[in-house]
Amino acid sequence: MRGVGLGISALLLIAAVTVALWPLKDGPARERASRESPRLNAELDRGALARRSGALLDEIVFLRETDLGRVTGLIESGSHQLFSQGISSPTVVNRLRDSVYADVDLAFGTSSELTLNPAGPELGDGSLNPFASPKIREALNWLIDRRHVAEELYGGLAVPRTLPLSTAFPDYARLAEVARELELHYAHDPERARAAIDAGMDELGARREGGRWTWRGEPVRLRLLIRTEDERRRVGDYLANLLQDEGFEVERRYRTAEEASRLWIATDPAAGHWHLYTGAWISIVIQRDQADNFSFYYTPRGRAEPLWQAYRPAPEFDALADRLSRRDYRDWEERQAMMAEALALALADSSRVWLVDQLNASARAANVEVAADLAGGVSGSALWPYTLRYTDRLGGRMVVGLPGLLGEPWNPVAGSNWAFDRMIIRATQDPVVLPDPYTGLYHPQRITRAEVAVEQGVPVEHTLEWLEVTREGSIAVPDEAWVDWDALHGRFITAEEAHPEGLSARTRVRVHYDADLFERPWHDGSPLSPADIVLPWILDFERASEASPLFDPAHLATFEAFRRHFRGWRILSTDPLVIEIYSDQIFPDAESIVAARAPSPLPWHVLMLGILGERRGELAFSSNKADRQRVDWLSLVAGPSLPALARLLELARGGHDLPYEAALGEWLVPGERERRFESLAAWHEAFGHFWVGSGPYRLHSVHPVEGSVVLRRFEGYRDPADRWLGLSTAPIPELVLDGPLVVAAGDDPGAGALAAGGAEGREAAVFRLSVTVEGEPYPEEAIHEVNYLLFDGQGSLAQRGEASSLGDGEWRVLLDAETLAALGSGANSLELAVTSRWVALPAFASHVFATVPGDEEVPR
Amino acid sequence: MTPESSTESRLPSLRRARLRDLRHLLLFAVRRLVALLVTVLVGVYLTIVVANMGGQVDELRLVQIRSEVVETVRADPAFFDMPGEERNALVERQVALEVERLRLDQPFVVRSLDYLQRAMSLDLGRAEQMHSDRGSREVRDIITERLPATLLLFGTANLLVFFTAVFAALRLSRHYGSALDRTVIALAPSSAAPGWFYGIFLILLLAFLFPLLPAGGMVTAPPPENRLEYAASLIRHMLLPVAAMFFSSIFVSIYSWRTFFLIHSSEDYVEMARAKGLPSHRIERRYILRPALAPIITSFLLMLIGLWSGAIILEQVFNWPGLGSLLFQAIGHRDTPVIIGGVVIFAYLLAATVFVLDILYALLDPRVRIQGGRR
Repeated sequence: MRGVGLGISALLLIAAVTVALWPLKDGPARERASRESPRLNAELDRGALARRSGALLDEIVFLRETDLGRVTGLIESGSHQLFSQGISSPTVVNRLRDSVYADVDLAFGTSSELTLNPAGPELGDGSLNPFASPKIREALNWLIDRRHVAEELYGGLAVPRTLPLSTAFPDYARLAEVARELELHYAHDPERARAAIDAGMDELGARREGGRWTWRGEPVRLRLLIRTEDERRRVGDYLANLLQDEGFEVERRYRTAEEASRLWIATDPAAGHWHLYTGAWISIVIQRDQADNFSFYYTPRGRAEPLWQAYRPAPEFDALADRLSRRDYRDWEERQAMMAEALALALADSSRVWLVDQLNASARAANVEVAADLAGGVSGSALWPYTLRYTDRLGGRMVVGLPGLLGEPWNPVAGSNWAFDRMIIRATQDPVVLPDPYTGLYHPQRITRAEVAVEQGVPVEHTLEWLEVTREGSIAVPDEAWVDWDALHGRFITAEEAHPEGLSARTRVRVHYDADLFERPWHDGSPLSPADIVLPWILDFERASEASPLFDPAHLATFEAFRRHFRGWRILSTDPLVIEIYSDQIFPDAESIVAARAPSPLPWHVLMLGILGERRGELAFSSNKADRQRVDWLSLVAGPSLPALARLLELARGGHDLPYEAALGEWLVPGERERRFESLAAWHEAFGHFWVGSGPYRLHSVHPVEGSVVLRRFEGYRDPADRWLGLSTAPIPELVLDGPLVVAAGDDPGAGALAAGGAEGREAAVFRLSVTVEGEPYPEEAIHEVNYLLFDGQGSLAQRGEASSLGDGEWRVLLDAETLAALGSGANSLELAVTSRWVALPAFASHVFATVPGDEEVPR
Repeated sequence: MTPESSTESRLPSLRRARLRDLRHLLLFAVRRLVALLVTVLVGVYLTIVVANMGGQVDELRLVQIRSEVVETVRADPAFFDMPGEERNALVERQVALEVERLRLDQPFVVRSLDYLQRAMSLDLGRAEQMHSDRGSREVRDIITERLPATLLLFGTANLLVFFTAVFAALRLSRHYGSALDRTVIALAPSSAAPGWFYGIFLILLLAFLFPLLPAGGMVTAPPPENRLEYAASLIRHMLLPVAAMFFSSIFVSIYSWRTFFLIHSSEDYVEMARAKGLPSHRIERRYILRPALAPIITSFLLMLIGLWSGAIILEQVFNWPGLGSLLFQAIGHRDTPVIIGGVVIFAYLLAATVFVLDILYALLDPRVRIQGGRR
């Protein structure tokens, strides 16, 4: 017996060692990055790149990897080349930055703030809530050193934020000048904070005794909810120390998200369970219009919960926030003026004190390049499938780590909404427009141009040249436009039928699709057809109709929101495809209006299988309906849906009557039905799933339990491979501001004033700004504005203006002698804000210089 | 009385004794079954109550549902220009749908009894939040999908540890005080560190520093289509986690079995056998192993059902798709049906094992069944 045991053990050991050391036949890609050899054979690659169409890689393998601590090791060992999840740990990011084999892309999108309890001043338990006073709330802006929070507590992975606008989104750039002024006004100033707190507490009837605040003889005690999962723990401790130094008793309550939400969201703030909460908000897309932030964050209209109902904004602020949320303004100038005013009022209200915009890093190998979204990082980037590549070669296999995949079943109607599933899915689809990862503006992908007509007085602007905007007195919906769907009889309802009295809309969008759209193939080989546009539309209406077997109550909310503004649509031509859509919904950017309105094709034959499944009570498109009917949530890629879909496919191939045949008939090419289902059957046979798209990558295989998904380059994708490479890196302006350190501010212009270090003589001071991107001058046409703010020695705004261009990325600010004289003697600050058309993130530079009396000697 | 008559009279009494034993055994079995069933019932209900924090989880869920709906609505451009009041009304409708789906509008007590009834009848039902990796919402699918990976990894490691430890301990008990024995004793405290701790070091050493083995996962990505290659890849991926588990528990296992065998080796009847000059392998098998068989079997069976729970951190470290991380996710999602599913199967397995062991003991040891019958 002993011998047998020993023998088995020895055999196992030998087998294990053999297997361990056996060379891999087709193992994982081990593509160790090298800093020494990027962009080798650049000329050769450029030629090959120009000849290549479609995806830049041959294969992408997605792997589940949850442990962020291993990211650097996995990249260095060559087993992974990209990680999609945002990394906020300074330790991990520093390791990545230190590694010669790894690099990072930074994204914004998470903001930290302090949520204050505005109830009171006397709370339910008889205690005082100092934050009922706007003065004390406002004082926290001066009390907190945001730079310390960003650089020390977040380890440099954050930037200070003072306003209710993300520092990475366009509204901040558009209002950069106002923002800078407010930021300087609310800069860290503990003395001012103390004075404001003292004044506020006196008004509330509190007294400072022995350095401690008391109210009705009891110490003023603050309950601070500190989130424990991230750096907010340190922020909470920092804030608690500051408040203790100001004379408050602070009770630190360390809580996880769930534990804290029971208090700060679920309880009545007047009950006094908490006074401050270290909150955070996430945005995974660039929000081009943040006008409703004021209403959401500061007024009872934001949410129905007790905290929001406790907000009591000043009437002027409330009215302004309401108008902004309704986009109630005549033109852009009025909007900007309203936004500027609302920003100042928001800081005076300070029901929330914004702290920092956090930076999340996406890790990649040093020889990998990808367009990472400014807000959503790699996983939120719409352009990643078109830009992900090795910098030193074309093609190849890449391994991408994700914290999770196949989180929910995949179907194109109401399938998985997990960020990382969406990321993979994006590579298999080819949307009609693509958002710019750095500005959020949409670029055309499957359309050539668009015409947007808006009613007179509707504030809509456009930035890009692929669309034009016209204004009309009124926009009538044509009689033949489809406005509804009759689920009972399976037919479209026209405007003439539904609205014999006539129907008008605020916008009309005419979208011209690519001329070769219907020559492009789906992944299973069948060419696109107009039915791929029509059936998704029918399905949308069917799912909202109680008369339909596809009715889904969970779909109603979205549909009703759509119905509020939808006025109709029609297909004007199919060769090329031109569609006209009528709607009342307005976005400030015309590009966003087109993106919201232009229909995208979905493979009708795949949808039809899902429709059959749901009608027969075997499957359901949405999670909610699946649970209600206790059937499987439709997954086109794995699980128990697949055998059901295979059966339905056989039915469809066997000539079984299909739903909506009458309505679809006109849009189907003869023989299309048979060819589509044959192609799908062959596809299923080859790859074992039903996920069919038209994007640059096709879904090759899915391995749910092993935790991997494989995409391969789709040979039928026709676009040039380098089409979107121009957007591979974020063109954030880099600024160098140079100018005199000491200026003679004589009161005799032309005689006494001297610009030390400047070349323009004694009358004025000249400051030069160099704007570059990756070492090259920033093109002037890409610069939106270069504004400056001049602050005097007391911190008051002395002047504002625009810099003038000198060409080659050089800009000049000229402060004339009169301006210098008005500054008086002291230390002044010149702040420059540069906004780019290429990236939403503004860049700032500042220069401190001293003005001395004109008769003094100026050191050179 | 003739010998024949004495034999005849002994036969009925023997039969009676057997019948009595059988009766005691049946009574014992029924009692044990009832006791075990009650234990399972109480255990499962306690799990339901604890997993739902006595119903307080409902409150958490409502907050969570509301927050998720609000954020979804706010992020959707479709609701972009909707007035705040209308948006809030819409949020309320969406929340109500989700509340209805999760039956949060019913009192927790009612739901808890429903959970219990389903659990006891092994109707695992549908998960509330989770899906199996393949996309099924049936708890049965969610669990069974991860079961093979768990059994394979933890079964291999635990069987290896068990048999290596038992045989090594037997050998050491015979060479008590030898250099090897002293080494094992010295290394026993190394088991204070859990498997995942060794796992991190092994990954660092053999995956990153000397990249001989994969750092994690179950198979190469993409998984090989050829079965043999798949198996080879699986073995490669199992080596590090198995080694981590092996190193973390082998020395303490040997130490404890060795101590156990030493106690049995010093029994009087073993000394007597040695004095009689019986060969050592016979002493080992008949005088040490046989009386120690019941604890060994108990330990072995408990080890087998212990596989069910997997190991959360080890699975995380090695990115292994096992049951441990699944149940951990279920707790994170507060997905009561999945938590109950995992627990109730474990409870039934444990109860069945205990029952089988009880019967085995009763069969092997008359004292057990007689005492059981009298109890």
